[in-house]
Amino acid sequence: MGFDFNSLLAFIIFGVTIGVVYGIVALGISLIYSGLDIVHFAHGEMYMFGAFFGLVLAHNVGVPYPIALIGAMILTALLGMAVERVFYRRLTRAGGGYTVAGMGMIICGFGMSVALVNAAYFFFGAEAEPFRANLDYIPRLTFPGDINVPESYVLTAIISVLLMAGLHYFLRHTKTGLAVRAVAHNKDIAYLMGVNVPLMISLIFGLACGLAAAAGVLIGPMQSVQVEMGYLMLMKAFAAAVVGGFGSLPGAIVGGIMVGIFENLGAAYISASHKDIYAFLLLILVLMFKPSGLFGVEAKVKA
Amino acid sequence: MLEVKDVHAGYGNLKILRGINMDVPTGGIVTLLGGNGTGKSTLLKAVSGLIPLMQGDVFFNGVNISKMKPHQRMRLGLVQVTQAKEAYPAMTVEENLVLGAYTRKDREGTRADLEKVYEFFPVLRERRKQLSGTLSGGEVQMLVIGRGLMAAPKMLMLDEPSAALAPKVVLEIFANINRIAKSGVTILVVEQNVRMALILAQYGYIIRDGVIMMQGEADNLISDPAVKDSFLGGSVADTSKSLRN
Repeated sequence: MGFDFNSLLAFIIFGVTIGVVYGIVALGISLIYSGLDIVHFAHGEMYMFGAFFGLVLAHNVGVPYPIALIGAMILTALLGMAVERVFYRRLTRAGGGYTVAGMGMIICGFGMSVALVNAAYFFFGAEAEPFRANLDYIPRLTFPGDINVPESYVLTAIISVLLMAGLHYFLRHTKTGLAVRAVAHNKDIAYLMGVNVPLMISLIFGLACGLAAAAGVLIGPMQSVQVEMGYLMLMKAFAAAVVGGFGSLPGAIVGGIMVGIFENLGAAYISASHKDIYAFLLLILVLMFKPSGLFGVEAKVKA
Repeated sequence: MLEVKDVHAGYGNLKILRGINMDVPTGGIVTLLGGNGTGKSTLLKAVSGLIPLMQGDVFFNGVNISKMKPHQRMRLGLVQVTQAKEAYPAMTVEENLVLGAYTRKDREGTRADLEKVYEFFPVLRERRKQLSGTLSGGEVQMLVIGRGLMAAPKMLMLDEPSAALAPKVVLEIFANINRIAKSGVTILVVEQNVRMALILAQYGYIIRDGVIMMQGEADNLISDPAVKDSFLGGSVADTSKSLRN
């Protein structure tokens, strides 16, 4: 097989596109981790619920795809906030508070994951459903060398970048964003500054789950939507978050893109049937040579 | 302004404070003195609401705030300045200060107060774009005090402003605390540096093992032989004298 530069370029372009989706899920996981010290194991299910909410809105209610995307983000954000408020918060400082107890939270996250999957079976059924979205108004990109990028991929790239830029703007340039960062760093001091800490925690959870929902609706038209889709996404988003440095927001995006490229190249040049392995291969390599991840802080100091 | 009545508090089942009574009158500087592990910081946390009370009440301007959350107490004007190590190192100096004014809606007043803080502590203006993690110990202390001022407090509670600082820097900081008090802010300062704190304050409380052991006018406390023995550290004072000779 001769080396074809054009197809290499194509694999990288597709890798980046799928990678930014891993990136926005990983962004949510990192946001929750840096904000609340919770490693959120039910995050894949938020992604799955987001995809289903989008599907129901687009097919059953019949709203246009962009509205379905926004609607799914809002609904999933509300679901995530409810889950945090009702279940996770009870485990924090004996129900009153905001500093988290480790192992109980991990088990609660796993349990929530199982519960949500089964709830989804109940509501949405076990069939994999195709997500038909009318995307004719999105231009199909053609790169030199006859590389055609389908509409759904173009849309995914655009929306992901918009979401990341929006989150960055919110965290760096708004007062509420400043308060979120303050809560992430030290909840007691944020409290003393007059920040309504429980409200900010709800906000962090809502944002993170909304991002996961966006990923679900974006992936929908590329693959189909089904109840078990969250598990693999969670694993890959974890890989992305760890590769980038757990808790680092830029790291989550870069890690996502790396995982996307790595698995596309692996599928193309090594073996397509082992596509899902390459993300973890990358994870192992990064952990061997730079355990804190690419953007990670060595042993984060927490007060 | 602040009344603490028979307060019991602690962590989990561990009771640290066992019936504290304290009064901070409007416009004054009151100091709370005690060594490590005597309950000073616990009392501050109980007053600012970071830990719940087991028993007793806290009143601020006549309002019972015992059941309020920290951010609600803070919005009444009862502002706790945290220990210096608790600035946000990954935020710039100015971001830290803006965060102090988080609850305020009046932009002009906030801007004027930012200017006032920069006047109090000119070094903060020089460093305003720097990450606060890069400041020296004294500068961080100025930053957390400035951050407290940004909230337009009626009363400031300071947690060991002299901790781990050189004597010259402590003097500068205490002079500024005095200026802040003169500008009309009531001050409660928790200290281990007993001599400095008693020179600054008008009234002092001495806490030990979770109870107020002694209280009185600062001038009386500083010359009290019991205080001298147990706190001004007769031995330490003598050592420094012998070093000088």
